[in-house]
Amino acid sequence: MAVGHGHLPEPVAALIRARAAVPNPHLDVESYDPEGDLLVLNLGPQHPSTHGVLRVKLYLDGEVCIKAVPYLGYLHRGVEKLCEKLTYVQITPIVDKNDYVAAFSNELAINMGFETLLGVEPPPRAQHIRALGAEMQRVASHLLWIGTFGLDMGGALGGGATLFMHTFRERESILDCFEVLTGSRFHYNTLQVGGCRHDIPAGWETLVRQTFATISARIEEYESFVRTNAIFLARTRGVGVVDAELALSLGVSGPVLRASGVDYDLRRDRPYGLYRELKVNVATASAGDCQARFEVRLAEMRESIRLVNLLLDGVPEGPINVLKAVKLPGTVKPKPGIGYAAIESPRGELGTWVVADGSDKPYRCKIRGPSLHALSLLPYLAPGQNLSDIIVTLGSLDPIMGEVDR
Amino acid sequence: MILGNPWVHGGVVGFVVVNFLMVTFAWSVWFERKFAGRMQNRPGPTEVGPFGLLQPIADLLKLLQKQDIVPDGADRALFNLAPPIGAILILASAAALPFGPGLVAADLDVGVLFALSITSLMVIPVWMAGWASNNKYALLGAMRAAAQAVSFEVPLLLSAMVPIVLAGSFSIADIVAAQSGYAWFALWPPGPGLVAFVLFFLTSLAEANRIPFDIPEAESELVAGVTTEYTGMKFGLFYLAEYVHTLVASLLATVLFLGGWEGPFVDGPHWMIAKALGLYAFIFWVRWTLLRYRADQFMALCWKVLVPTSLATLVAAALWKHLS
Amino acid sequence: MSIDLSHFDLVAENDIVVVPVDKLVDVATYLRGQGFEYFVYCCAAHYPASESEPDRALVEYRLRRLPAEDVALRLWIPSSDACPSLAGLWQAADWQEREQFDLVGVRFAGHPDLRRIMLPEDWPGHPLRRDYAIDTRHFPWR
Repeated sequence: MAVGHGHLPEPVAALIRARAAVPNPHLDVESYDPEGDLLVLNLGPQHPSTHGVLRVKLYLDGEVCIKAVPYLGYLHRGVEKLCEKLTYVQITPIVDKNDYVAAFSNELAINMGFETLLGVEPPPRAQHIRALGAEMQRVASHLLWIGTFGLDMGGALGGGATLFMHTFRERESILDCFEVLTGSRFHYNTLQVGGCRHDIPAGWETLVRQTFATISARIEEYESFVRTNAIFLARTRGVGVVDAELALSLGVSGPVLRASGVDYDLRRDRPYGLYRELKVNVATASAGDCQARFEVRLAEMRESIRLVNLLLDGVPEGPINVLKAVKLPGTVKPKPGIGYAAIESPRGELGTWVVADGSDKPYRCKIRGPSLHALSLLPYLAPGQNLSDIIVTLGSLDPIMGEVDR
Repeated sequence: MILGNPWVHGGVVGFVVVNFLMVTFAWSVWFERKFAGRMQNRPGPTEVGPFGLLQPIADLLKLLQKQDIVPDGADRALFNLAPPIGAILILASAAALPFGPGLVAADLDVGVLFALSITSLMVIPVWMAGWASNNKYALLGAMRAAAQAVSFEVPLLLSAMVPIVLAGSFSIADIVAAQSGYAWFALWPPGPGLVAFVLFFLTSLAEANRIPFDIPEAESELVAGVTTEYTGMKFGLFYLAEYVHTLVASLLATVLFLGGWEGPFVDGPHWMIAKALGLYAFIFWVRWTLLRYRADQFMALCWKVLVPTSLATLVAAALWKHLS
Repeated sequence: MSIDLSHFDLVAENDIVVVPVDKLVDVATYLRGQGFEYFVYCCAAHYPASESEPDRALVEYRLRRLPAEDVALRLWIPSSDACPSLAGLWQAADWQEREQFDLVGVRFAGHPDLRRIMLPEDWPGHPLRRDYAIDTRHFPWR
């Protein structure tokens, strides 16, 4: 099928062809367009809305995408190689930088992987702190996502920036809670193999309750935004529809999968830690478009706020680490073996696959990040879409490049 | 005519008007940043001068000091010509704008048409810049701008025809005179006038590339549209053209629909400026509140909604004129 | 809870099945038909040559039947050999196998587009191999 000037009776036909064609991420552009009339646009790695340093090579017919090829690795820092050179205790602050907007989830996933190998279970108080932190982090992460999604649609010099500033105000207050708990705002280094490093300080509970009461009221504003804003609806409804079967086959998880009608949440279906006792209501939507993903994330924020309040009620007394407080790095030595543990991070299934060889360092440590799988949807969603819609679709998948590239 | 010789008069009034526009532009940027800051829980500029009031001067100095970069492969002549042409065109459009009785650089019989046609010429420097930049984002932005200008000319002119029909003249002075006694066209006749005012205002936003119709710039998609490759004062001139365009559109809406310089106590340019700045501030409010339409949705809005509505409004206005 | 793979002469032990290389595609196709739609990961680890074993890699695919039924297919691939690709069965295997090829150096036979994914095209070596030292200087900082 050619799109050259000579073969193209009307541009509309090409547009319809492109839309009707089954998205093929390995489309042969040479034979599709032998005359080279397609516009090749490098979106990124320095582009305002590629969420960091993603580069997507777009083949455009007018403004309609024919093929999209993501190029990853601009943020590859060799975290997995670093893990092989560090002891089990030293790894925690390194993985903080993977999914840099949800560092707590990273720490939880990696330490749960190590605990699977060691066969230890953190004490109840540590489990409570972990679950609290994970749910607070989920709200913070989704707030950031709403803001950046606004930027994708409204630009940094428009209404999107206003939305961004407002969600960041709320996110800041959650980060303040984390600062009181752990001493830092983004990269906490607070979890350890076998428990936590920092205990809940006095008065923290009141601070968290107040913060989340405010946020809970302000989520109503975002809700009204998604319900009534005509431009928002025009830009998101029916845009970037993700097919559930394709999403499963691509290993997509988290809100993107749930927005496509698959009722699946690791917290409920493969419970870990405190979630074995906790009942989590899983939000789903059936449309699979950007609006559905927005609504699922809003509902998840509500549910997380409910869980935070519930967890604050019953924090038991007791130790926060089963092992003796690890003073010197390098004291944890799991038996040789292979383990996998996964948690539901704000973006989906965040897993750790660890191979131990009996030493104090992992032999191989792979971090299975949900962002990589969500991003792999882009070559399937972009063909047939307008350039503007590609930006919105990419934003709605919420890829964090630190986790994609690692 | 205040001064006897039309050349002297035009020169003096034109000088004052152009400087008014430039100064208003400079401090409207300060106002916009303050305003947007307050909308976003932040103070806006505070460092330069009291309340950050000297910020425009700092911005200007910064722009002047920037390295002037012409990208490799750019068409140098077109690339360098586009920003001054844009600024000159948009300032020229103010020549036919009266600020008070006789306070006009050139009192043309066809003042409305002159102002609208000169502002619509803005697409030429934008296209020049997009083509000459040798940048795909700039080219896409320029193509969008051209498509947008071609489409939105139609409802813009049709809605501007409503006050022309009601006043029976193309001269801005006559149109303002026809609205005297608070019979502003936005209020009277009820219906067509108000609809035409809203349409004119919306299409002016689109012509001036303001959110929600700023798809030629769309910096989340096209980085900065046509201005992607521009640095320093060349970028500043495009920036100036965009803001002055918005200001001229507000002034035009004021004379066509809001009774021009008429107001309580003393009629005069101050009322004209106050009304126009009110509209101008409203545009800032819209800009920092709304998201952006997609290009095709926005063309559909133009051809499927705005054009039929403006035609119907024009017919209604003509009927009103015919019957009364 | 383990899947019955006795007709392949394989035993699942705690969700883990050690699969011979030549049976991988058959087993994977069977599992795909049994509703294992969700592809969790493909991981590889490199084992350098020792007295008893040649230079080889461990490859593990984890597949899931929702909600929580896992099966991990574990293979030992000698460095001289290529692992059969599952990219035709699960789309996720496309990027996952590219990543393991890029970092660990496992080759996947039948992969549609086996290029580097994280590192630049001209990067020499595969960093997650055990013989790739972290504390020596490598391209482009050599």
